[in-house]
Amino acid sequence: MPTRHLIVGGGTAGMNAMRTIREEEREPSEITLVSAERPYSRMVLPYYLDRSIAESHVFTATGADLLKWKVKAHIGRRAASLDARNNVCTLDDGTKLEYDDCLIATGSSAVRAPVPGADGRAVHSFWTLDEARGVIAGIAPGSHVVMVGAGFISFTILNSILSLGAKLTIVEVAPRILPRMVDATGAELVEGWLKAHGVTVRTNVKLTKIEDAKGRKRLKFSAGAALVGDVVIMATGIKTNLDWLKDSGVRVNRAIVVDEHLRSNVPTVYAAGDVAEGRDLISGEPAVHAIEPTAQEHGRVAGANMAGKSVAYRGSLIVNIVEVCHLDAASFGAWDDAKAEVMSGLKKDRNAYRKLLFTGDRMTGAIIIGRSSDIWTTNDVGMLKGLVQTGVSLARFKEHLRRDPFDVKTAFIAAKTTRTLLPETVLGRPSMAPGDSPVAV
Amino acid sequence: MKVLKLTPERCTGCLRCEIACSYMQTGAYQPAKSVIRVSPFEGHTSYAPYTCTQCAEGWCMTACPVGAITINGAGAKDVLDDKCVGCKLCTIACPYGTMFYDTSTRKAFKCNLCGGDPACAHACPTAAIEYTETATADWLGDFAAERVGHVLVLEGAR
Repeated sequence: MPTRHLIVGGGTAGMNAMRTIREEEREPSEITLVSAERPYSRMVLPYYLDRSIAESHVFTATGADLLKWKVKAHIGRRAASLDARNNVCTLDDGTKLEYDDCLIATGSSAVRAPVPGADGRAVHSFWTLDEARGVIAGIAPGSHVVMVGAGFISFTILNSILSLGAKLTIVEVAPRILPRMVDATGAELVEGWLKAHGVTVRTNVKLTKIEDAKGRKRLKFSAGAALVGDVVIMATGIKTNLDWLKDSGVRVNRAIVVDEHLRSNVPTVYAAGDVAEGRDLISGEPAVHAIEPTAQEHGRVAGANMAGKSVAYRGSLIVNIVEVCHLDAASFGAWDDAKAEVMSGLKKDRNAYRKLLFTGDRMTGAIIIGRSSDIWTTNDVGMLKGLVQTGVSLARFKEHLRRDPFDVKTAFIAAKTTRTLLPETVLGRPSMAPGDSPVAV
Repeated sequence: MKVLKLTPERCTGCLRCEIACSYMQTGAYQPAKSVIRVSPFEGHTSYAPYTCTQCAEGWCMTACPVGAITINGAGAKDVLDDKCVGCKLCTIACPYGTMFYDTSTRKAFKCNLCGGDPACAHACPTAAIEYTETATADWLGDFAAERVGHVLVLEGAR
C-alpha cells in the first residue's frame, strides 16, 4: 500500500513539503492536503493591493495543478482535531482522514489590539487574501488610512497604500518603529525617511478605542489627540494556529517542538513554518521565527524526511527585509544581541546605516539600511547574510570592518566565504527548478 | 555545465565586462546595472570580477514565493520577469550578494549566463572571464586573501 501523507496547511511550508515529497519519493505516495484557503503566497499580497499584479498571480496552485500532482485536496476545510495515537485527523465537517505521517503547517493568524471597536466596520487586518480584498475595496485615492502597529506587516504594505493615493498615518505603542527588526538608530533613520515622504508617524501611543464618526473612524488614545481616518488597518501581531491540537498528544511549547528532522514528539507527526519551534542557526536554541524563509526551508526538510530520506536541518536564520519609499532595511541573525561586539557606521546624508555584530571572530548578526537605488545596498544585503549564515572567521578583517563597516565585500571575498558556501545545500543535493517538479507555481 | 571561470590575475580593471553585461541585462551601457562587478584590490593596483556562481542550492530560486526564478537552458538560475513581483526575498536569501534589483522595473535580476552566450566573456580582452565546461568554484578567494594584507596596511597608513 502506498504511504499516506497528510499535509495540514496550504501555505509556504505545506506547499514546499508537498513538492519535496514528490521530488524525493522512490515509490508513488498518496498526498492529501487540507487547506482552509486555496493555496496562495502571502508575500505577494502587497503587490495585489497596489494592483501591480492580478489576483490570479497570488495563487501557488490551481485545482488543475493539484490534480496533476495527484494531491487529494480538501480546500475550504480546516482540521478540527488530531488523534496522534491512532493517526487520524478530523476536519471541521466531520471527515476523518487516516495517515501514515502528517505535517502540521497551519501557520498564523492576525491578531487585533483588544480595544472596543476593533472588529467594527472599516477596520481590517492584512494577512489573508480575504482580508486583502477587504482592504482593497476600502481604500480610494485621498482616503486617510490609519495603520495600527509599525512592524514588519505594516511596512510591507506601506508602499502599496501610498501608491493608491491614500494619506497614511502609522501609530505604534512602542517608543519606536520596527521594534523587532532594527535597532533604535535604524528606526530613527527609517522614521525620518518616512516623514520626509509624507507619512505621519506617532510612536508611544496606546490605542484605547475605535469609534464610528459620521461615516469615518475616530481612534482614541490613552494620551494625545484623537485621529480621524477612513480606513483602519490593524497590524498588531500574529498568533500561531495551534488551538486545534489540544489533547492531541503533540508537545507544544511556544509552538510545536521539533527535532532536527522537523519531527515532533510523536514520530508520525512533523511540523513546519510558523507553528514549529525548531533550531535557530545562530544560537542553536529552539526558536519560533514565523518568517517566510524559515517556512520554506522547514517545509522542504520535512517533506524530504516524510519521503523517506534522512535530512537533518542545521537551523534557520532570521532574515527580514522591507523597502519603504525606496529605502531598504534588512536585518539578520542575532542583530539585537546585547553581549555581541558591535561595529557600526551611519551616513546620515546618504540614509545609510550598517551595524555588524560579532561573537569572537564570527559575524552573528547585522543590520543594513540604505537606498534601493544604491547598488551596494542590495549586494551587501546578500553578503551580510552569507557572512552570518556561514560564520566564517573574520579575524583578519575585523579591524578593517571596524574602521569601515560599509566595506563588506573585501572581507567577504578574502575570507573565502564563497568556498564555504558552495557545498551548502538545504537538502544535501542541488535544488530543482519550480517547473521541473510536480509542484510548479 | 559551462560556467564563468574567473582568473582574477588576468583582470586589468577595464570594466568592459560591466558595460557589456549591463547592455545585455538592461539595455543600458551603465556599470551600475551590471550583474558582474569588478572590485579593486591593493589600492587599485589589481582587480577582480565577481558574479553569481550558479550555486547548487539556488538560494534565490528556492526563496522565491511565486516560482519566478527557474533554471534556463544554459543551467543558470534566471528570473522570469512576468512572474517576479519585486518582493526582494531573493536579495536577502542569496548569501553571495549576487541578486540585483532594478528600481525602475521593480524586478529582481541576476546573471543568467545570457542564456548560454555570456556577453562579459566576449567582452573581456584578457580572458580573465572565460565561459567553459568546469565545476563552479571560489575563483577569487585566494587572490583576495593574499592581497588583503596590503589593503589593511594602506588603510592603516591613511
